[in-house]
Amino acid sequence: MVRPEAGWKMNSSKLKACLSHWQVILMLILIVGSVIAIGPRFEDGKFTTNLQYGLELQEGTWLQMEFKAEIVGFETDLSSDEFVTNLEKQLDADIYLIEERKLEIRSYYPRETLETAFTSAGGRLTSYEQGVSKQTADDVKRILESKLNALGTKDARVNPLSSFSGVTHYIRVELAGVSLAQAKEIVGKQGKFEIRIHTTGNETEHIVYGDRITSVGVPSHADPGNPTWGVTFTLDEEGASMFQKGAIATGATTNPEAHFLDMVLDENVVYSAPLSSELAASLEREPIRQLYASTGPGNEGLEAAKNLEIHLRAGALPVDVAVAGSGYVPAELSDYFKLVCAIAFIVAALAVGAVIYYRYREPRIVLPMVGTNLSEILILLGISTFIQQLDLAGIAALIAVMGTGIDQLVIITDEVLHEGKVPSPSLYKKRLTRALGIILVSAATVIIAMVPLALMDLSSLRGFAIITILGVIIGVGITRPAYGEVIKEILSK
Amino acid sequence: MGLINYDVNKYSPRQMVMIPMIILIISLAILGYNYATTGMPVRPGIDFSGGTAVTLFSTDTPEQLKAAFSGYPLLSVGEGVNNGKYLRFGPMDDANLQALATSITAQYPDAKIDQIGASFGQTLQQQALIALIISFIGMTIVVFLAFRSFVPSAAVIVCAFADIVMTAAAMSIIGIELSLPTTAALLMLIGYSVDSDILLTMRVLKRQGKLAEKLSGAFKTGIIMTTTTFAAVAAMWAVAFAAQITVIWEIATVLLFGLIFDIMNTWLTNAGIIKWFVLKRGGK
Repeated sequence: MVRPEAGWKMNSSKLKACLSHWQVILMLILIVGSVIAIGPRFEDGKFTTNLQYGLELQEGTWLQMEFKAEIVGFETDLSSDEFVTNLEKQLDADIYLIEERKLEIRSYYPRETLETAFTSAGGRLTSYEQGVSKQTADDVKRILESKLNALGTKDARVNPLSSFSGVTHYIRVELAGVSLAQAKEIVGKQGKFEIRIHTTGNETEHIVYGDRITSVGVPSHADPGNPTWGVTFTLDEEGASMFQKGAIATGATTNPEAHFLDMVLDENVVYSAPLSSELAASLEREPIRQLYASTGPGNEGLEAAKNLEIHLRAGALPVDVAVAGSGYVPAELSDYFKLVCAIAFIVAALAVGAVIYYRYREPRIVLPMVGTNLSEILILLGISTFIQQLDLAGIAALIAVMGTGIDQLVIITDEVLHEGKVPSPSLYKKRLTRALGIILVSAATVIIAMVPLALMDLSSLRGFAIITILGVIIGVGITRPAYGEVIKEILSK
Repeated sequence: MGLINYDVNKYSPRQMVMIPMIILIISLAILGYNYATTGMPVRPGIDFSGGTAVTLFSTDTPEQLKAAFSGYPLLSVGEGVNNGKYLRFGPMDDANLQALATSITAQYPDAKIDQIGASFGQTLQQQALIALIISFIGMTIVVFLAFRSFVPSAAVIVCAFADIVMTAAAMSIIGIELSLPTTAALLMLIGYSVDSDILLTMRVLKRQGKLAEKLSGAFKTGIIMTTTTFAAVAAMWAVAFAAQITVIWEIATVLLFGLIFDIMNTWLTNAGIIKWFVLKRGGK
């Protein structure tokens, strides 16, 4: 047992000695940084912070959607292009060659159906996985995000969930402050797209609606070597003839510069440009089905082309999706959850303090120990404001970190303090190293155990694993060694 | 600490390992029986089996609720305190689900609704299993690298395994379902379990001194570690129980069982094996 000394206030030389260890300094910096990052304050008489709450701690809806498409590998003696052409005759679906001998089929077929189709097309199916390529998944993410932004949804997150093989099977959408029925409507809803042509001044005339667009390409260059980006889109026959008539009637074919073409999505002009002289000349003679809208050169042009592609699709996704899972938490419940989590946390911290005090009976050990433990949580919360939102699983992880954290502080304390006394500096150093060795092994074990969860798409368990890993790293790397130094300075005479 | 009067040096390795091994065998039998009869070692919640779960607050009796939702495949109505009701629905198509969600939100604006498609549940289940297996393999590698000795490393792994198996069996007896949060709780046990096991092994193998002294020293430290964690989790359990937050209550219950089993596995199984190992090598 350590006997309390009379007046154990830390004098300035001890404080200085504490600050000579880099871990202590780094820990203090992180604590201050975390408080700033969390930013607790009163706003309009209500207590607020910068903590980002995820599902269950915030009103909102999550939707997990499954792609009705598959990535398949194939073998054939034909050329890839030939094979794809054959296959397209068999299947009524968009088929893309995403890499050598790998196809993305944008429609759902069971494996058996595809095996039969592949055989009749002159090849063989070698692998089958439901989902889409990463690129397609990113397109879908972009489309959904632009749709959600356009609707002014205040807090929306869209995350494609990819497997180890790089195929994305699911995409998860989280919408704060939106009910389940609303969320499904937003995700499923298509915008109203139309093409108009300027007549005189700012007056425009309707030419054709978006339902006449049969396909939209991905951003591409106008022709090889040309730096200009743009998007190709195709009208159906009737649409093409409406477009031709409209262009002639408004005078756009004779004087393109005076009669700009506008693309309008939900009453907003998203693209405006004149007809090119070649197109104007062709339209004088015949209807044109395939059109190319250019957006300019360089990165700017590419970004504009990507957006235009989304607009041309009017929010329709290139691949059908089906809802695989969904959930809704009402505001009353999420506020209640938050309150209870906070209470549970405080009560748990008090319980830890009580047990530690019961064991050591020495405030000079108990206070730094509990203080270090709470600092770890504070730093973790601070870091999480940047990378991870807190959901219930995240709270569970915080508790796990608190539990293993205090465990390891006990290991350090018992290892270095023999019979409650601080040994000579060299022996102390040896023992601290040994204690940190024990901690390091158990930390490495926990991290390795959590890595698969952090990498896999087990939705809510991912947050749990990330917070646990972060907590262990902060604890082992910084705060627990810092505690080892601080306790030495405090207790040494 | 006077709470636990167990002398870690009193019994022979065989006596120490006996009780945990019997419990482990019973636990494996329970999980095996469940697996043989239902296809899952622990009853899966909707996260893994698919379906719709609704949590709402209503003074209606379960019978009234059953009548009110007779148009939907309602499987069961559970009751909590504060008029909390937990409704479970079987699989239904999208249009039906949409109608159900709309009608529930209209009648009970503070209801929580969760829905998992059957195939999505299946995927989650497979992935959770794969994650668990990879976790165990990774853990084994780290522990073997750290100790470079078969028996002590295997003892740590066996203890972590036994903690999880025994806790899973306890879950199945008291009726806690396997869901994403309870899976997380089971994985948290890995962290708690290896902490005290590694402390024990390091102290016994890498320190100078008499075996008996090293064992009782490790026990003294280890038991504070586990009681501290136990106190924190028990506090969480009490708050979650009083406030009726099922998820946190379930996590806390699983952890409490796990920590009890961890004390047993560390100070009987692991201590027994390591004692046997040191004695066999001719240590004192």
